[in-house]
Formats: sequence, C-alpha cells, structure tokens
Amino acid sequence: MSESFNLNVNGVDYPVNVEQDRNLLSVIRGEVGLTGTKEGCDDCECGACMVLLDGQPVNSCSYLAVQAQGRAITTIEGVMDGEVMHPLQRNILEEGGVQCGFCTPGMILSAHALLQRNDAPSEEEVRIGLSGNLCRCTGYTKIVAAVQRTAVELRG
Amino acid sequence: MTATIKKQSKTPARRFVRADGPDKVTGSGRYAADMSLTGALAAKFRYAQVSHARITKLDVTAARAMPGVFAVLTADDVPDVRFGGMVQDRTLFARDVVRFEGEIVAAVAAVDADTAQRAVDAIVFEYSPLPVVNDVVSALEPGTQLVHEDWASYTAPGVMVRKGNDASYASIARGDVDKALAEADFVVKSHYESDGCHAAPIEPRAVVAQWEGNKVTIWTSTQVPFDARAGVCETLELPNNRVRIIVPHLGGGFGGKCGFHYEAHIAALARVAKRPVKLVFSRREEFLAPDKRREGIVYDFETGVKADGTITARKARLVIDNGAYTSDAGFFSQLAAMHALGPYKIPNVFAEASLAYTNHQPSGSVRAPTAPQTCWALESHIDEVANKIGMDPVAFRKLNAVDTGVEGPSGQTYGEIGVQQCIDAATSAAGYGQPLPDDEAIGVAIGWWPTFASASGAYIKLDGDGSGQIITGAQECGTGAVMTLRQLAADELGMQPEDFELVYQDTSAAPYDMGATGSQTLFNNGRAVIAAAGQIADQLRELAANKLEAAAADIVLADGMAHVAGSPDRGVAITKLAATAAGGELLIGHGSGPPPPAATATGSTCVGDIGMTAWRAPQFSCHAVRVRLDRDTGVVRVLRVSTAHDSGTIINQVGAQGQVEGGVMMGIGQALTEGTQYDDQGNQRNAALLEYKLQTCADAPPIDVQFIEIYTPDAGPHGAKSLAEAPNVATAAAIGNAIAKLVGSPVRRLPMTAERVWGAMQS
Repeated sequence: MSESFNLNVNGVDYPVNVEQDRNLLSVIRGEVGLTGTKEGCDDCECGACMVLLDGQPVNSCSYLAVQAQGRAITTIEGVMDGEVMHPLQRNILEEGGVQCGFCTPGMILSAHALLQRNDAPSEEEVRIGLSGNLCRCTGYTKIVAAVQRTAVELRG
Repeated sequence: MTATIKKQSKTPARRFVRADGPDKVTGSGRYAADMSLTGALAAKFRYAQVSHARITKLDVTAARAMPGVFAVLTADDVPDVRFGGMVQDRTLFARDVVRFEGEIVAAVAAVDADTAQRAVDAIVFEYSPLPVVNDVVSALEPGTQLVHEDWASYTAPGVMVRKGNDASYASIARGDVDKALAEADFVVKSHYESDGCHAAPIEPRAVVAQWEGNKVTIWTSTQVPFDARAGVCETLELPNNRVRIIVPHLGGGFGGKCGFHYEAHIAALARVAKRPVKLVFSRREEFLAPDKRREGIVYDFETGVKADGTITARKARLVIDNGAYTSDAGFFSQLAAMHALGPYKIPNVFAEASLAYTNHQPSGSVRAPTAPQTCWALESHIDEVANKIGMDPVAFRKLNAVDTGVEGPSGQTYGEIGVQQCIDAATSAAGYGQPLPDDEAIGVAIGWWPTFASASGAYIKLDGDGSGQIITGAQECGTGAVMTLRQLAADELGMQPEDFELVYQDTSAAPYDMGATGSQTLFNNGRAVIAAAGQIADQLRELAANKLEAAAADIVLADGMAHVAGSPDRGVAITKLAATAAGGELLIGHGSGPPPPAATATGSTCVGDIGMTAWRAPQFSCHAVRVRLDRDTGVVRVLRVSTAHDSGTIINQVGAQGQVEGGVMMGIGQALTEGTQYDDQGNQRNAALLEYKLQTCADAPPIDVQFIEIYTPDAGPHGAKSLAEAPNVATAAAIGNAIAKLVGSPVRRLPMTAERVWGAMQS
C-alpha cells in the first residue's frame, strides 16, 4: 500500500508517494533524486547509506521512509554551507582520506554526528564513532586524522 | 609515524589534493548505480544455485509472457562464443552444464526490479546433479570428476601445460635441489593451507546499457574498460568502434572488478528489449557471482639450510583453487611458484604449482594475486627454519634475502634494490628486539611483487585560454594514480596540476590502456602522459623562441612562463602562447611510451613458462607487526604495523601512503577474519558482510609508512616502480609470525581466526 507524505531533506520538503515498505535509502535516491547516499549492502553492515535523522546517524537502508515523516533528514548534499565545503569535507580531502569515495558520504555524516555530541574526541573515540562505516581503501588512518583535525578547527 | 628515506629522488615531495575529491566529498560524483536513463528497465539474473549439474530443462516461456517483462535471454539467444583471459572455458550463459552456484543461466529485463525477480522465479530450470569437486587437492587425483569434460578442446596459449582438472601447471627449477637437500645440515618441511577470500569493494557493481542504432554505450563499474569492451565485442560479435564503455566514478575494485563481467549480458538485454537496461548487484551477488576472488592454496615446503644459516635448497609444491572457470588466473601457477621461492638467494630450487579446477566461484586477479597468502605460508616456513637452527628470524632474513647485484632464486640478477634497507627500516620502527609484555610479540616478513609493462596511451591539449585537458585511457579505481597524471603533465610544461582537467574512463574518447590492474597505471600511462606533454612542450618552446628571438633549445618552461634559460625576465606567459596557438597550429600532444626492456633470468628451466620468472623493476617490502594475544579466547589484536617499501621513486607521497595503509588493512583482514567457507556441496556459507568480516575503523592499528626511494632506471616515470598491490603482500605473513611466537607454533591455516589460533594453542 502506498502513502503520500512530505520528506524534509536538507531543509527542503519533498512530496513523495511511496509504498509503505520502501526504505528511506531508495526513496532518497529514487524519488527525491539525491544519489550522494550510497547502497553498499542493504544489511546495515557497511554504513555507506548513513544519513542524519534529527542529527542522529541512521543506516537509511534499514529505515522505512514513512518513519522519517516530520523529521529533518540530512544527506551528504546538505553538509555544505552553500558553496563552501564543511571543514570535515575539506579536511578528509586534504588529509588524503578519500580514495574510491564510495564510503565517503556515510563516513562524513557519521563523523558529523560524532563531532556534534563530542567536540573533542580522542583518537579511540573517533575510531569507535566511525566503526559503523566500512572503508576498503584507506586503512582509516587519514580519515581519523581528518576528523581530529576538524575537531580542533571547530573548537577554534 | 611517516618517514621517507630519500635517495636519488627526482621529484619534490608535494602535497596533493585529488582532482575527483570534491565530487566525492560533496555527493555530486556519479557512480554507475547513480545513472538513470528515461525508460530504463531493471535486469536480474537467474543463477544456477547449484555447484555442478547437467541442465535437463530450461524453459523461459512463462517468464517471457509476464506483463512488464521485455526480454529474457539464455545461451540460445547469444552467439555461441567461449571466452577467457588465457583459457577460453567460459560462455555468457551456462550451456548444458553449470559449474558453480553463481553461474548465470538466464537474464531478465523488466519494468522494475520486483517484476524482473518474479520473472526470474518463473523460469523453469531443471537439472541432474553431477559430483561436486569441492577439494582442491583431490581435484587433481586420477579418476576425479572433471569440471570440464571438454577441457582439451578449449583454446589456450600453446605454452600452457593443462591436463584434466589442472588448468595451468608451471614449475621453476634451478641447480640440483635433491643433492642440495641431501647435503644440507638441516631440512625443514612445512604444510600450510589458505582459504579463498574476496576483494569486497564497498560499491556493488552496476551496469547500464543503451543502444542507439547499431551502437551501444555501456556505463559500468569496471576497473578495465578496454578489457570490458573486448569482452562485449568478442561475445556479441561487434566491432570495437560500435561499443563505447564509460566508467563513472568507480567505488573500489581491488581486482574484483577486473576482467569482463556483465556488460555483454546487459547490452544483449537492451538490444532485445529496445530500451536501456540497468543492473545493480546486491551485496550477496557481489560475493557469489564475480569470477574474481582471491584463490585458496595448499602449500608444501621443504628447505635445506647450512648450520651457519645459509639456505641452500628449496622445494615447494602448491595447489591453487582455480574455481570453475579460469578467468584471468592462467598465470597464477608460475607467479605463485615465484612467491613460494620468495626474495631469497637460493642456488637450488624446484617450485611447482597447479591451478586446479573445482566447483567453486572462479578465482581471479584480486590485489596481488597469489602473493599475500603465499608470502604468509613461505614466511611462516622461513621462521620455522630460523627456529630450527636457533637463529633470529630477522638476522636469518638479512643473511639470505636478495640484494643489489645478487642473483635471485629464478636466476635474475637485480639492479639497485632496497630489500635489506626495508628490513632495517621496518624492524627499527617497530622496536624489534626490545622487551615486550608476555602476551605481545612482533612478527616480521618480507615480500616482493613485479611491475607490469603494457601499451598505454594519452592525449593532451592546451586550449586557447591556456587550460589543459588530459584525455587518457587510464582507469581510476580509487588509488589516485590517474589523479597523479596531472602532476606529471604540469611538471613537463611548467604549469600547475590544477591547470589540467582529466577526461578518462571512456573507451571512445581515449587511446588504449590496460586499466586499473597490475598496479600499472602510473607506471605505463605516466610515461604516456609525459610523452604527450613533451610534444606540447616542444610546440611551446618553438612559439616562445619566435616571440623571444631565442633558440627553442634555450627556452625553459617554469611557473606558467616560457623564458630564456638564465634570463627569467625574458619570458612570455604560457597562456599567451596558447592564445597564439589557438589561431594557428593547435597545441595537441599524444603519447604512448614504449615499454621498458624485459628482465631476464638465466640458469633456470621452467615448464609452463608464461614469463613470470624475471620481473621488471621488482618491488620489495618488509612489514613488522606487533600483536597481542588473548590466551583465553585466541583473539588476536594488531597493535601496530611498521612498513618499509622499495617501490622506486615516490611521485605522490600522500597517495602512496594511502596505498600502503589500505593494503596493510586488507592484509590484516586476510590474516584474521576474511575467509570463504564452503558447505559440502561447494556453496559459500558466508556470503554477507555479517558473516564475512571486514576490518573496521575500531580494529585498525597505527601504521608506520616508510619508503626506500631508489631511482629505478628502465621503469616508470622519474624512476618509479608500481605500488598499489605491493603493500598487501607481507602483512598477513608478519602477523602469522607474531602469533607463532606467542602460541609456540604456526597457525597453519589462513585466516588465523580466533578459533584456529585457540586450536593451535591446544595442540
């Protein structure tokens, strides 16, 4: 059975009409039309589909779209401030934490959520905070460095 | 810690931000699954779901009749063509017999994925089971069921030695190994086994195909677009110039996306359906269907050694799991034999390897094929030999490892190489020899890996505003190798990397390149880009010479200017020269540098010799890994990995560090958690990320990266060798040797899971 409702993605209300069993990931990609959120496993194991729901990181592959009604959804496309990259985006790039880039959107959103709740995470806390996001390319070293550098920058 | 030992490096270290980075961090970059075309249909495959069987009935009538189904194809609907990298043993769709669970029996295109799946379920597929070849060693025993009854009729290079279930036998022999073993002071024998494992890129593959008239464009997540094109052309009997392969951003590959995969199936569906067709793999399909996964191997080693620690003889016998089809694995046997000898100066050797057909998923080139697991087995054996004679394993390696000007085990004499420096640098960084807590140990291993020369091409143009484009056949799979091409062009032309945009991953736009395989991109396409840039540099010098009334040979290109040598003030901006050229002879360069000369080995005799015994510009590495063992559970934690690599000149420092860190992390997974488990019918039991465990950020240790930079002549650009695969070679081996120190004996099967470590502790 389908249902019509609004999804608020990156501050914009998108009217959608989707089956109740559609997951949030497929609606963001297929109906809202934002493809920065990736599907890596459809099994909550890889974190490539991570989005923020009211600031909390969620694997959108395993979350029904209808459950996201009335909540603020943030995808990678909503992380930039206008045309200016968020420090996390800039730093993960400058530190060399991007290779194939497929895990990168989810990784940035998990890191974003981590820094929201802990503005001075230890290396161990960063590693645990990102442990729901698999990266096959980098060995994680430069991603962790980028998150720590961002924390320092944001604290000023 | 990151350190670089500089030696004769020609390029300055430069901080490098990759050109595709902004796309990737903002979400605007498109990957194959992000492509959408009006009217596109969804594709699904009907897989065999049985490891070995004769097809008795395949009826797609009901599936074709379903509303919303536009095409259903089987072997009857495509040309009867066999293909394969060396042994042509595969067809697009199963014919008569299915040989592994992920073999494609039929393909469907329908209005949406659910309809396509219902059509797949409506296909009538009946079969008569055949005996399953599930064990790699017994596969070679006389009387065993043949995986391919018609193996002898398959096309294959004449040099290959094939017989029954052995798809490729190779050996390397030198000296008199039996005599040397008889005369040795000690002889040590060891047996090891390694399980297969997966490339597991985070992006599951996707393919979109669209026909316009008699031409097809295919967007696909391949590492090797020209190889994919060749596969489409071969199997659908099309000329190269009517098939265009475009790769959007590629979400990792590690070899798993090498070779020709599903482009032809989807193109064939789209042609019949007269609509664009899109395939997106699930993670389960990504585990089961590709013909590229890391091969399991069974190893037997015998090494003779003098009391003073000198190795005098090595015998090795390896049986490699080829799986059901040979894919690109035909060269694995001789390559694995080389890894069974290792970077050691051994005068008497006999190493042999067989590539055994089984009813498993096919093996293929996953990051340094055969190397990490064979290095793990050999280096475990080396520690056993060192222990036997009571010698420190690092001192033992220093004594026996190859070195500059020394002859290696296959009879190749090496130019200036850095393996000895690698051992010193890695062990020093790890603090090897210093006291450790009782439950900690440092294991050390050395590894090697060839570089692969290939034809490769690029064009460069400078437009009227002075901005440049590099149009290259090279493929970016994440390593940053293609991104680094900008730096090479900029250095030739006295410009900045940011002055160039890349046009790449499009077979109709650029000349041939082998693709993101064999760590070859910078090695080969780097030379092509430098050659192309050199042509434009010559043009710029001529233009500047006319303007400045100087000889072209005296013009220097630097900092965006063309100026007379020794007179920086007497110059003209390159942008001005480009504007001039735009009204006359355009600034266009093309390059395809000839491959460097082949290496040679003398004194060895080989059967099934496919050219793997002598390596151009060989790379060397040493990894020293500190681990902690939980003696109650067998759980091993990697605390620190210290690496040193000789990959020649390093051109992109940040990118190179990333390759080492990523290769090490993959090696830790191979060491401890990543292994395919089969049931008694040859079906994978752990084809999901919940059961097949990749390493997470919380598992990752600090990784020290050191480069022993030696300018290497007759190699890649500026004396570079390759890099992407080499860092994956020695990690698992070093971890194994650390565990063996704590357990008291090696864990003889890879991966060394907690259960296996605990088992070794009890025996």
